[in-house]
Amino acid sequence: MKEVEFTIAPEELSRQSVWFAMGYRGSTPEQRICDMAEEVIDALLPAAVVKYMYRLVPASKISPTAITLGGTVFNPGGIIGSYLDGMTDACIFIGTAGREFDAKLKEINSEGDIVTDFIADSIGTVLAELAVDRLERDLRPGLNLSMPYSPGYCGWDIREQQSFFPLFPPEPCGVTLTASSLMQPEKSVSGFFAMGEKLIRQPYHCEICKNSKCYKRRKG
Amino acid sequence: MSALFDAIFKGLLPAAKTAVQEALDAGQSPQEIINDNMVPAMEAIGKEFAEGRVFVPNLLLSARAMKGALEILKPLMQAENTTTAGTVVIGTVKGDLHDIGKNLVASMLEGRGFKVINLGADVSKERFIEAARDNDADIICLSALLTTTMGYMKEIVDAVRESGIKVRIMVGGAPLNAEFARSIGADGYSSNANDAVDLAKSLVA
Repeated sequence: MKEVEFTIAPEELSRQSVWFAMGYRGSTPEQRICDMAEEVIDALLPAAVVKYMYRLVPASKISPTAITLGGTVFNPGGIIGSYLDGMTDACIFIGTAGREFDAKLKEINSEGDIVTDFIADSIGTVLAELAVDRLERDLRPGLNLSMPYSPGYCGWDIREQQSFFPLFPPEPCGVTLTASSLMQPEKSVSGFFAMGEKLIRQPYHCEICKNSKCYKRRKG
Repeated sequence: MSALFDAIFKGLLPAAKTAVQEALDAGQSPQEIINDNMVPAMEAIGKEFAEGRVFVPNLLLSARAMKGALEILKPLMQAENTTTAGTVVIGTVKGDLHDIGKNLVASMLEGRGFKVINLGADVSKERFIEAARDNDADIICLSALLTTTMGYMKEIVDAVRESGIKVRIMVGGAPLNAEFARSIGADGYSSNANDAVDLAKSLVA
């Protein structure tokens, strides 16, 4: 079990990632929207202490749709299951943009400017994803590593968060789970990287997923 | 194209406020200003969005400009007994705290002439019913972003029907689809804010 936290300076934040989270796919917003985003980034980032916690656990694929992670059975479904042949281990994780960031987000929300609110929300999404990116960068498993998969995405029922969280100590990185399986702070992410000597890392195949509104959706 | 139409279409808040004041000074009534300039501007930006020529922030900028202009007109509208396109009670259902998409729908509905009562997030069926009754609502809009909370929509629909209030119900949110909406007895489903306004218009027609 390892916990990591870091801050990020405004100039370090990938603007392309922010534009992507705002709905721009491979394009840049017009200048005034970029300018607004820069203001929000400057206001928000000092409040963000991004954290992630992870564990390396034994894992296996027990059917086309079911797996075990650290001894617990999950049913991520056929889409994720199709990527997991050869999985022998996994890195399970929880990451968050943090409570301080969440408080700042709520402050912006209460001001009632829907444009700023949308930009801030998008930045929060990027920060939570950044925790996963940093984790992946830090991992040196000596085994092949899959893309990250999360409850609530790619057909994995979000209610399995209730089985996933007990794999960690209470309130990992300050993240809690509501009865409806919503993480608090809101800008948090959970999931796993599959690992295995014979595992083949494959890109997400969004075209076979029914959720056309997924914010992670790639073109195609 | 009027300066007000242009300001709202381009999402220019200060220009929209100036233009609406100038229209008032020129003797136009709030209803004329809304119907002849503001609503057409929102319809135009909505069409641009639907055709993929602008992005969500453009919609939001226009909605914000519209809202700013409406703030100037609202006191006059109350005195003038101005008609609206209808009254909508909107909220994210109990257990769910996501409200960005719902707020966008609320803004777009306001922009197209609806009176909107935004109840926020984590809203119970009792609050939806109370607000619909108190405001004589035409439509209740339900939003959910979680598969674990979309099931509560059926409880709300059932409770509304049992309450006897005459109101249409529309639903939206990432995990939903039209089939789900039909299965819970909702009157309509939309997949984005722009379509939600068209759906609301059709439900009150």
